[in-house]
Amino acid sequence: MLDVISLSAGYGKKTVARDISFSVAPGEILTMIGQNGSGKSTVLKTLAGLLPPLSGEIRVDGRPVSAMTRGERAKAVSGLFTERPKTDLLTCRELVESGRYPHTGAFGLLGEADKRAADEAMRLTETGSLASALFTELSDGQRQRVMLARAVCREPKVLLLDEPTSFLDIHYKLTFLELLDRLRKERGLAVVMSLHETELAAKISDTVLLIKDGRCEAIGTPDTLLSRDRLREHFDLSAELADKYLG
Amino acid sequence: MNKRIFFSFVLLLCLTAGFLCLGISAGSADISPGELFRLLTRKSADETAAMILFGIRLPRTLAALMLGGALALSGYLLQTFFHNPIAGPFVLGISSGARLFVAAVLIGAARGAVLLNSAVMTGAAFLGALLAMLLVLLLSTKVKNMSLLIVCGVMIGYICTAATDILIHFADDSEIVNLRGWSIGSFSGMKSESLAVCAFVTGGVLAAVFFLSKPIGAYQLGESYAVDAGVNVTAVRIAMILFSSLLSGCAAAFAGPVSFVGIAVPFLVKSLMRSAKPIFMIPACFLGGGVFCILSDILARTVVSPAELGISTVTSVLGAPVVLFIMLGRRRGDA
Repeated sequence: MLDVISLSAGYGKKTVARDISFSVAPGEILTMIGQNGSGKSTVLKTLAGLLPPLSGEIRVDGRPVSAMTRGERAKAVSGLFTERPKTDLLTCRELVESGRYPHTGAFGLLGEADKRAADEAMRLTETGSLASALFTELSDGQRQRVMLARAVCREPKVLLLDEPTSFLDIHYKLTFLELLDRLRKERGLAVVMSLHETELAAKISDTVLLIKDGRCEAIGTPDTLLSRDRLREHFDLSAELADKYLG
Repeated sequence: MNKRIFFSFVLLLCLTAGFLCLGISAGSADISPGELFRLLTRKSADETAAMILFGIRLPRTLAALMLGGALALSGYLLQTFFHNPIAGPFVLGISSGARLFVAAVLIGAARGAVLLNSAVMTGAAFLGALLAMLLVLLLSTKVKNMSLLIVCGVMIGYICTAATDILIHFADDSEIVNLRGWSIGSFSGMKSESLAVCAFVTGGVLAAVFFLSKPIGAYQLGESYAVDAGVNVTAVRIAMILFSSLLSGCAAAFAGPVSFVGIAVPFLVKSLMRSAKPIFMIPACFLGGGVFCILSDILARTVVSPAELGISTVTSVLGAPVVLFIMLGRRRGDA
């Protein structure tokens, strides 16, 4: 579904991540684990088209995204980023509907299919009751669910999530990931995300990519890569700290 | 479209029609509604009244409608571009940049004894507005703080105003006879040729901006969400800059400095509709700006009649409190 082939990503002349390769099949979750500044966000931004790739290739369904139009790419790949959306007077329903952008006509008016997709996305994310509420009035946990509804109502093939659970309390972290787990199975989404919570990543991911100083340190199953000793080494933790906090 | 937005448009259209009628009937020579109707249907033989109506008041009121709409829409585009509700052509120095260029062209033309047409004036104003805009953009890459950006814009405005004053100081009186009246700000003295240029520019840009309402809506959410939706963000940004410069340049060329319309009107219109969607905001801002400026123009020529106030004096009195209100409200709520 999604193939990333020796991708280098960064800003202009500054290469932040180099030679990253991985594949994600439909319904699978790949989680990037790494320290702050290791290049996770830069890779996600490049996959989303926010940054041009410095080298390498990104393919969706075997087709290079560089050969797609903006609209085609947006239909195939959708994301949830750390930038706070500026929603002003938008209701949740309107925000979710804005996710249909690449499907709607010249003035962005919604057709029947668009309305149905928005209904369905709000039902799946259990945000139907928030439809007429202003987005700015919601709690962080509700906001992330609405933003997820916005991303999936586009019916993309690939879903990108940059630290989706960072500002959520444990209740919302778990309900969000549970929702994600259901969505990827029902919709056959290929998910790429970055996550700081290694214990949660171990439970939900099919594949884990350890990223350090912009390089892929290891890629594999959570069991092998998220062991205590491996994490201790990856995050440069002293034995003392690891003993005290990682148990 | 919900009911509130629908009725907002009905209200705006009624206000536009009402103020258009009021604008052409109010003034030192009163024209009664009955006489107005007879004049408009060409059934009256009153030559003087017809001259006042078609020669003076109608062009002036139409100019207020179009240029007011242009200023409000220009402000709306700038606010969207910078994600800042107190950005506008006047506070960012863009109007002053336009004015500087128009002054230079007027004086230059007087020296060279060249007769100027409205298109050249608009072109000069557009260039001046665009240059001031580019200066603001250059500064905006250096300052991340939005309030600081406004301060920078105000400074650019002062520099352009000072340069204009210097130009005027060294010009002969005969060269600036046109400029004096114009530098106070007024919708009066529009020839039919100027009106045609105005209608062409503002009408054309209004239509173009309206066709951009979909990408502008996505841009409002923030850059990552716009790119994610498949918007060509660079193209939308360039379009917004060019169109807002054209609109505010056109207003500055024909009416001189008119302050606060660009900030006050979008805010009032948004509060009226309780929606910030571009597809509604774009036409509503244009209508609202027209209404606001016709009203200001009526006040400017009736309050101290037979003398006249500068249009900017009135728009400041009406608009500046709104801007203060926005700034105070911003501190309380979330940005």
